[in-house]
Amino acid sequence: MDDLRVPIGSFFVILGVMLLIAYFFVTASAPLASPRVNLWCGLAMLVFGAIMLWLARRGKAS
Amino acid sequence: MKPGLIDYIILATYFLYVLAIGWLVKRRVKTGVQFLTSGHSIPVWVTSLAFIATNLGAQEVIGMVASGAKYGMLTCNFYWLGAVPGMIILGVFMMPFYYGSRARSAPEYLKLRFDEKTRGFNAITFAVMTIFSSGISMYALGLLFQLVLGWSFANSVLLSAAIVLVYTYLGGLTSAIYNEVLQFFLIVLGFAPLSIMAVMKAGGWAGVTARTTAWMAGHSFAQNPDVMMHTWKYMGHASSNLMGVEWFGMLFGLGWVLGCSYWCCNFLVVQRAMAANSMAASRLTPLIASIPKMVMPVVVIAPGLAAIALHQMNVPGILVPKGNTYNYNLVLTNLMAQFYPSGLLGVGLTALFASFMSGMAGNVTAFNTVFTYDIYQSYIRKNASDAHYFKVGRITTVVGVLLSIGAAYWAAQSNNIMDFLQLVFGFVNAPLFATFLLGMFWKRTTGHGAFAGLVVGEIVATLTLGLSRAEGTGGWFGVVHVFPSAMAQNFWIAILAFAACFIFTVLVSLATAPKPVAELENLVYGYTKMPVEDHLPWYKRPGPLAVIVGIACILFNLWFW
Repeated sequence: MDDLRVPIGSFFVILGVMLLIAYFFVTASAPLASPRVNLWCGLAMLVFGAIMLWLARRGKAS
Repeated sequence: MKPGLIDYIILATYFLYVLAIGWLVKRRVKTGVQFLTSGHSIPVWVTSLAFIATNLGAQEVIGMVASGAKYGMLTCNFYWLGAVPGMIILGVFMMPFYYGSRARSAPEYLKLRFDEKTRGFNAITFAVMTIFSSGISMYALGLLFQLVLGWSFANSVLLSAAIVLVYTYLGGLTSAIYNEVLQFFLIVLGFAPLSIMAVMKAGGWAGVTARTTAWMAGHSFAQNPDVMMHTWKYMGHASSNLMGVEWFGMLFGLGWVLGCSYWCCNFLVVQRAMAANSMAASRLTPLIASIPKMVMPVVVIAPGLAAIALHQMNVPGILVPKGNTYNYNLVLTNLMAQFYPSGLLGVGLTALFASFMSGMAGNVTAFNTVFTYDIYQSYIRKNASDAHYFKVGRITTVVGVLLSIGAAYWAAQSNNIMDFLQLVFGFVNAPLFATFLLGMFWKRTTGHGAFAGLVVGEIVATLTLGLSRAEGTGGWFGVVHVFPSAMAQNFWIAILAFAACFIFTVLVSLATAPKPVAELENLVYGYTKMPVEDHLPWYKRPGPLAVIVGIACILFNLWFW
């Protein structure tokens, strides 16, 4: 493995997608949870994962 | 708390990733040195995050949330006093000798600097301790999952141990370190939403302040109701704060002795810095790591405080009674049950597994290096080939995991044994800091001196515990002194053990023949070519970074004074 950012980035992208799936298709809730928490956290993880992958690509190019 | 299908898929994805990283790293690991020490090959951002992740075990996460609920902001002292200063001292003062000596482990440094018996003493205590601590945390995890999720104790213990075994067996230290970085991000991103939601629900920071104050006014601490929101304000006297410790015990016991002996002398964390790819990187590792460490209370202590505020708002099921007090260890999982719907719940559970695995893999990789190089190579078979030690390292990994599982089951048999071990692990390392400090900075220190100091330090620690009493612990040889709390007892045992070790090391060193100057090269201050880093930009030099981190840490202490 050359760059740790690739597995970390792809992991969080997958995690983000799963949380979005949970938001749109699973009607689950917790007593005190805000209704859109899976959406926000999913987007946050997607963005974090994408940044990691972008950094890895940029690092490879240079 | 009942996880759904999506939660199990998230957990399974994580397990697959962890194993895949181990498998990918395996191709790069071809020698015993690479397997056990990473061969000084890892970039600094990776070692830095691994450095804190290995300390961020499940017990740390669960325990800090619990302490946040029990003691409030006082818990921050474990970060801003008990961690950051020790990390700065390691990076600035001690790393040049660890890294410069080319020792493969902390005990091996003691062998190079002092003698075989000092190394043996340290290596054996360390090996025993790592096995028991990983067993105890395995037990704690199994128990928690059994209680909260109804999973079988055996299944969760064996599954997580098996996964740790596979990835450390495949890729050794490099694999453990790479996974620790993934675990670090997962722990932070997995628990941060909990902290944010809990604090928001409790009315923001102002709401938390008002409600914890009301809670204290209504309960045990009516005289200083804002005691949970301050780190130092009530440290003047042991009876005026929740920890039952006064400022001197806190400052010297936790900050100087326990903080430094853990962060500067415990091979578990030092090994991560030693794996860095250059001297400068190894010195920067603890300094960079101290930045996320400093803000970690936002993730692990704030939820504890918010839990008290929510309890004060009559939210049920967060702070549950246990005997005549509360079960603080369940606060984290209770908060997860309240705030995490299916989906995020999977992330939270995965983060719990990740924290457990990072702690356990740290123990396993430190154990196999110390066993292979400091016990096997020095007492059982010297001068074998690297391939031979590679094989021994791998077998040790398997044996280490099996012994930890054994220790977990043993802890499950007897709670008293476990409490006792945790009590002892609290201070058994305390004298070590005196040994390393004198070894690195006083050229006159001798092997006999170091060994005598360590032995006397441990004896003094045992005697102090045996002759004092606090909250029902210690006092088996009679009670000479009663401490206001178990924490005060722990801090004072550390102070006395450190002082005894320091004094005896100096006295015996002066009475014995000094080590020839020629043998001190790269081991002692004054005989070591200190690294020159003038050509590097300021943000890559340990000095300026240490000053910035130090000032930031002082500001945090003042901010929440």
